[in-house]
Amino acid sequence: MNAVAHALLHSRLIRRLAIAVAILLFVLLAFYKFVYPVVFDAYIGKSNAPLTYESSQPLTPAQFDALAEELSQEARRTAAEAIVSETDNAFARLVKVEMLMNTPSFIREHEPTHLKYFREAGILQYEGPKTCLQCHATIQVQHHDGRLSRVDTLDDLVNSVHFKLQSDTGSGFSTVGYDGRLVNAEGSRPIPVGKINRACGIPGSFSWTGWAALIESRPEAAHGEIELRSEGCGQCHIGGNYQPASEKMMPIGDVPDVAKEGIDCLICHSGEYDMNQRYVIQDRVGLRWNQDRSLRAALTVGRVTTRNCLNCHQHNMGGDAYLHNEAAQALGDRHRRLLHSGAKRGNPFSPEDDVHAAAGLQCTDCHVPEGHKIPRGRMGVDLVANDLPDVEVSCVMCHTMAPHNRSEHRALLNGHLDRLACETCHITELQDQNVVLRDWVHPTWDAEEGIFTPTDVYRSGEVNKGFTFMWFNGNGTFLANALGNHPDGSDEYDPLMQQLAKIDDPEVIAAVRDKAIELQATYPDIDVDAYVRAATDPLSQLTPEQLAQRRAMIDENLREHMNEGTSKIYPFKLFNAMMYEDLGNQGPFGAMILPFDYKSYYETGDAAASVKQAIQDPIVQRMYQTPFKLYMMDEFMAYFGVADGWQTNYPLVEGELRGVEPRWMRQMGSLMVNHGIQPQGRDCIECHAPNGILDYRALGYSEERAAELEDLDIVTNLQPN
Amino acid sequence: MTSKGTRTTALTVELRPFPKPVATMPSSRGVRLLFWCVLGLLVGIPWTTGATTTSAPSAAAMATTDPELERIAAEQHNCLRCHAMPTLAYRSPTDGEIVDLSIDRNALAHSAHAELSCVECHHRSYTRYPHPRRAAPRDFDCLGCHRDDADPRFAWDHIETEFAHSVHARSEAPNAEGFSCQSCHHPHRFRTTQIGDPLTWIVQEHNQVCLSCHTQLISAASASHDWLPNRAAHWDAVRCVDCHTPADDHANHRILAAEDSPRDCVGCHSADARLLARLYHFRSEEDIARTGLIAKAIYNESYVVGMSRSPLLDRLSLAILVLVVLMLTAHGVGRYLVHREHKRSS
Repeated sequence: MNAVAHALLHSRLIRRLAIAVAILLFVLLAFYKFVYPVVFDAYIGKSNAPLTYESSQPLTPAQFDALAEELSQEARRTAAEAIVSETDNAFARLVKVEMLMNTPSFIREHEPTHLKYFREAGILQYEGPKTCLQCHATIQVQHHDGRLSRVDTLDDLVNSVHFKLQSDTGSGFSTVGYDGRLVNAEGSRPIPVGKINRACGIPGSFSWTGWAALIESRPEAAHGEIELRSEGCGQCHIGGNYQPASEKMMPIGDVPDVAKEGIDCLICHSGEYDMNQRYVIQDRVGLRWNQDRSLRAALTVGRVTTRNCLNCHQHNMGGDAYLHNEAAQALGDRHRRLLHSGAKRGNPFSPEDDVHAAAGLQCTDCHVPEGHKIPRGRMGVDLVANDLPDVEVSCVMCHTMAPHNRSEHRALLNGHLDRLACETCHITELQDQNVVLRDWVHPTWDAEEGIFTPTDVYRSGEVNKGFTFMWFNGNGTFLANALGNHPDGSDEYDPLMQQLAKIDDPEVIAAVRDKAIELQATYPDIDVDAYVRAATDPLSQLTPEQLAQRRAMIDENLREHMNEGTSKIYPFKLFNAMMYEDLGNQGPFGAMILPFDYKSYYETGDAAASVKQAIQDPIVQRMYQTPFKLYMMDEFMAYFGVADGWQTNYPLVEGELRGVEPRWMRQMGSLMVNHGIQPQGRDCIECHAPNGILDYRALGYSEERAAELEDLDIVTNLQPN
Repeated sequence: MTSKGTRTTALTVELRPFPKPVATMPSSRGVRLLFWCVLGLLVGIPWTTGATTTSAPSAAAMATTDPELERIAAEQHNCLRCHAMPTLAYRSPTDGEIVDLSIDRNALAHSAHAELSCVECHHRSYTRYPHPRRAAPRDFDCLGCHRDDADPRFAWDHIETEFAHSVHARSEAPNAEGFSCQSCHHPHRFRTTQIGDPLTWIVQEHNQVCLSCHTQLISAASASHDWLPNRAAHWDAVRCVDCHTPADDHANHRILAAEDSPRDCVGCHSADARLLARLYHFRSEEDIARTGLIAKAIYNESYVVGMSRSPLLDRLSLAILVLVVLMLTAHGVGRYLVHREHKRSS
């Protein structure tokens, strides 16, 4: 060591400096750990508190043994009965079942694994994640590229889409802004996007304003008695808190530990999770969703099965009113959950209506998880987060590019794969309750449930009514419009001015008219003609300048993204909603929609009052202030197609809505449908005929080619008569 | 030249400015060279004047004015409505492998068979869909057209004899079973190499045919051919068949096994290069087309293949040669004049 360095190290000045830096770091760390979370929660008006659940009860050792024996018997009996099911004689079957159930290897094989683990560890109460983490603090993860890694379990889950309702900023989207930029692409300023902050007309609220509500319903059958009902986005989300994980929207900070204690491991991992425990409870801090933390549920943990996924996901696939939605049969021991009668997609995953479910496939066979990250495929039209954007989920992974084997015409059928997605032929219809047009502004009284519900102006599961066909290359717009183009790259195909912006079908228009006339009885202000026009021709709500601007943005900003990659024809469920919009933040593709407060909406049917209530939520108020404007809203608006940034004029002034009008979104959203797969596909003649279900000309085919496709002698020859 | 399938080739041959490949020119080169030079000088033909003919593109022959061609195009279109679908395929029930039935419309249009109606080969039963389950015995019969080919390069007797001795015909390996013309000459894609095709393209196209079966060769771990210095460079510049067929003045169909193939560097890297008779044959022909017959006659084989062929050096040495001839002539004329003068004065 040379003399200078020696002197420096020992100089008093350096020592003082080092101490000062250490203190500064310590103060910053303390601020970040203790002060920042409190300040942030106060800023967005959210609270966190230790969470308790009634179902989490300690058992005595004797109770434990009884429960364990019951669960063991149940599991062994089910397995044994399956094995001996081919024995004809009933008594012989009974004897065989008894023998099998008491065979040591059979017990080892079929008894729920955690009976033994819990007994050995002396666990007599399930206390949420901390019970699981005693053994599963870390897990081994196998990645799609074959890599193995070991991750912190809680951390892995907290940073998954299932918990935080958004992707890591900077990746995971195939969404294109109307300004032509890929959302959160490299080089852009990443903003938080995902279900956490996505405004959508199907739920009619945001995740913050619609998380949990207790509705006072007045069902007809109760003769004026009030029944409390549960409602809100939180019913499907695994965080058991008073709000979504808003902390995760910021570049720094984490969800508080008490909030992580609310994670519901069992809804995904338990074989006997009781959906009747899923209802809204109120404690001194606020409203939140209850969960099943019984030892019965905990003892039957295992790998995720289809049943677990469908606890939540049948809601957005088959719908709540779908006949085979098991979770919808268990609405809650108290405060029963409200069923949504209109379905988001109407394409169920169940043995009755999906060939893969019937074959016993598990969701995770295609959506192969990597730890707690679950892939949703590389194609996505709606602005939803994606944990594993690079992982493929597709039919051809199993079926190859030559999937048809039975038909005499299998080669011809396989030939279609270059242009058609499998779903185009193998999803022939959606559920009837699939909602296409939803009017939030004019609610309807539902006498049976005793609440006001949004009016579903048009529902249909039929082809070209409830869903239609579009070119799709995996890209979507900021407002969920599928992008793609005819492979010839021409400008003929124009979905944002045609398919998604107009309803031409006279039957649909007539049905909308009937509904408008029906609504007019309750809302005399409705002008039926104007109502039908706005609902079926939403572009009529735009000024000529806005239309011209829209035209230019499609041509200049979206065309190139439509022409990227390989496009195929996919079926897309169509949806539009009339909601209150903040017209101060409007562009040629729409304006910022405002959320509804479920409680006041359902109870009073006063849509405007419900909006006023919802936008008083602190986080919506913050949205209209400068820090949020700069942090995300300006960028959000740019993607939205609004060039001059987010206007912070709060739309509620002295108790009145300002600059707020009811509007239909300027085009329909298009949602991918991939389940409800039928083994028997469409007949050739359904498309290859004049007036077939594919409108070739609108899809950008030349007149000559369209005529040829509509009249194929091969198809004519193949017809039975 | 009886079938339409060889029309493209026929055109090429007819338009070729010199009937025999240059590589087989007689060896009394020096005499000829001098003769041509002097003749060139005397007649005043510029060195670089030459035929401007290029290979006749098949597309040109597809001019829609010919009703016969129009009929063929319509028939092809009828089949291609289905067979141009890139995913037209099925999984074979016997081995589960995907059998590809698709035809690349573009490749077909540029292939040797571009002007054939599909049913010329796929007989009449294929005019309707569904097609017969099994091919008729006479279907896919190359000989139907190719047996009586007048062009010696396509003479069937030769090809048959050569192929019978080919390693593919003699091999007892299970995957060589059923080896036929189509195994290499994909009827919907195969295109006779045209004069003017870039050599790199020819090498790539031809080698692709071999590599479509001999896939193990291109794996990174393959030690095959590692005796070649800079193996990759050789594979990029030389066709497999350049070494794996006997030297001949036409494409020989007797594919040689590894042990029968030459391994001597000098075979190619010498003045009388083996490649001149094969791959570089195309280059010679191309040179004639591009730079003219005389220039070709003068330049060709001036250097060892693979060495630099500097046009500047060519011109310089030719200029010196011409100067020497001129000087010699002038000297001779001078001597003659002096001699005559001397004679007259004496």
